[in-house]
Amino acid sequence: MPQTLFEKIWDSHVIVQENGRSLLYVDRHLVHEVTSPQAFDGLRINKRKVRRTDLTFATMDHNVPTSDRSLPIIDQTSAIQIKTLEKNCKEFGITLFDINSPNQGIVHVIGPELGITLPGTTIVCGDSHTSTHGAFGALAFGIGTSDVEHVLATQCIMMEKPKTFEINISGKRKNPHAITAKDIILSIIKKIGTAGGTGTVIEYRGDTISELTMEQRMTICNMSIEAGARAGLVAPDEKTFEYLRGRRYVPKNYEEYVNMWRENLKTDSGAKFDKSFTLHADNIAPQVSWGTNPAMTSDVTENIPFPTEYGKGNAEQEKGAEKALQYMGLKPGTAITDIAIDRVFIGSCTNSRLEDLMEAAKIVKGRKVSPKVRAMVVPGSQLVKKNAEELGLDKIFKDAGFEWRESGCSMCLGMNPDILKAGERCASTSNRNFEGRQGAGGRTHLVSPVMAAAAAIYGHFVDVRELDLN
Amino acid sequence: MKGSVIKYERDNIDTDVILPGPYLKIHDYAELATHAMEGLDKDFHKRVKPGDFIVAGKNFGCGSSREHAPIALSYSGIKAVLALSFARIFYRNAVDGAFLLPIEIDESAYRDISDSDSLEVDISKNEITNLTKNKVYKMKPFPDIIGKIVEAGGLFNYKP
Repeated sequence: MPQTLFEKIWDSHVIVQENGRSLLYVDRHLVHEVTSPQAFDGLRINKRKVRRTDLTFATMDHNVPTSDRSLPIIDQTSAIQIKTLEKNCKEFGITLFDINSPNQGIVHVIGPELGITLPGTTIVCGDSHTSTHGAFGALAFGIGTSDVEHVLATQCIMMEKPKTFEINISGKRKNPHAITAKDIILSIIKKIGTAGGTGTVIEYRGDTISELTMEQRMTICNMSIEAGARAGLVAPDEKTFEYLRGRRYVPKNYEEYVNMWRENLKTDSGAKFDKSFTLHADNIAPQVSWGTNPAMTSDVTENIPFPTEYGKGNAEQEKGAEKALQYMGLKPGTAITDIAIDRVFIGSCTNSRLEDLMEAAKIVKGRKVSPKVRAMVVPGSQLVKKNAEELGLDKIFKDAGFEWRESGCSMCLGMNPDILKAGERCASTSNRNFEGRQGAGGRTHLVSPVMAAAAAIYGHFVDVRELDLN
Repeated sequence: MKGSVIKYERDNIDTDVILPGPYLKIHDYAELATHAMEGLDKDFHKRVKPGDFIVAGKNFGCGSSREHAPIALSYSGIKAVLALSFARIFYRNAVDGAFLLPIEIDESAYRDISDSDSLEVDISKNEITNLTKNKVYKMKPFPDIIGKIVEAGGLFNYKP
């Protein structure tokens, strides 16, 4: 029977199946400082070891400061969490890319960078954006701390088989510099909603996906969780194999693997999905979120919707929009391009890779950040930072008035000192515009790196399609 | 289980409002509990009593995989969240640690239950009795295994 890519990966990892639940083997486990301490405590209490230290990799990203790393960490609770991870990795024999490692970075940036992420594998991590790794044709789930402990102890996870959801993206984007992967995924979430993918694994397919680079595919898979999906997948192709070739942790007989992946890792023709959705990429505009969940998003050319218009007769939707606009301090009918901003954040596991910074730099080059705006770039990893500096991107950003910082999750989730003050409005390349996400009372607008860069220069949102590139 | 209702008439109550990011550095569960729901309702901590239920709309617990969210609610005294639907990772975390029961209710029950109503939840009968309004609602039955994990006291105590 023809199978989907998801079903092939799933079947090849099921150890036992019983009453609709399966015990699934985990090929790679990524660990960070925030969701792991209690899991290690649990192992200690029960005198358990880490089952496969060779398949477990750790780094610190969520609460590391992005300022000068030669200075001590001021926030003592952060310092303790970081120290605790160091101690745990040492005690249990796990590879750690610590705060001073040239490979430190956001866990979802360094996994692919180091070739830890491989096609056809199962990957888990105590972080919901683990879906990012699906861009390589890996089945990657975000899990909580109990599951982290379970995987550390057993290298397995118990799961109910998710349903399959095909999202076809077809058509040529009119201006691929201005209409980015971020705009594609925001357009999808806007249409299917924040629970549109609940209980499913999404496979992104179609000619637009084939055209995207690996880093762009990561942006799309990253936000699968924002549509409620368990995971997002893209079938691996020559771009995938080329991206991983020569990276540190790929298998020695890499080309043999590539042949196997090329042969097997695709959805068979005639395979059935439980659900399907199609997005035409031809007419997508740059997206800006205006509300307090990622589905509350509009084209940059539009006005802030009236709650009745957004609700389309659904009272809950209408009320949701009303509350969101109140929190965001926005009036219906306002042109999105008239919204003034205070802060700009270019970073996060969604948009902090080299191509994101290169694209943003094209807008920034030769221009200055608006005097009303504080703008920062937080590269996703030390390697991204180094590569960007070799291209001179740091200079472009700094000359324009951006802060150029050390790698980490930073202002995406407000765990380190990089936060918004109450009432501050931010154009952010991150993934969640939830209330208080970037700091209590902070207001987040989700945008692409080029849109964020343009907003930093002009002090309000602008349609990047209208800007000249330097 | 008997308790009174704290109702939030909202969809998409996310883990960032249930337990805001800065508190993810806290290890002590009792201290975590003092920040539960802080992103949405600053008075929650003062109001909540042991055994209380939260009633909410669709997609409760969306967002981050932080288990701190169900832990904070649980240590505040919340025994169950009754919602129209749940985000999957939150649901899993709640069950894994047997922190609280994620109970799916239907639209009519959601509309009918008011803030401060007294409820009695009987999982064996899949029934919720509104003691204030003298009404009975059906809850969506737990898949067999979920009930067993919760009864066992979480994933680590569950023996298939």
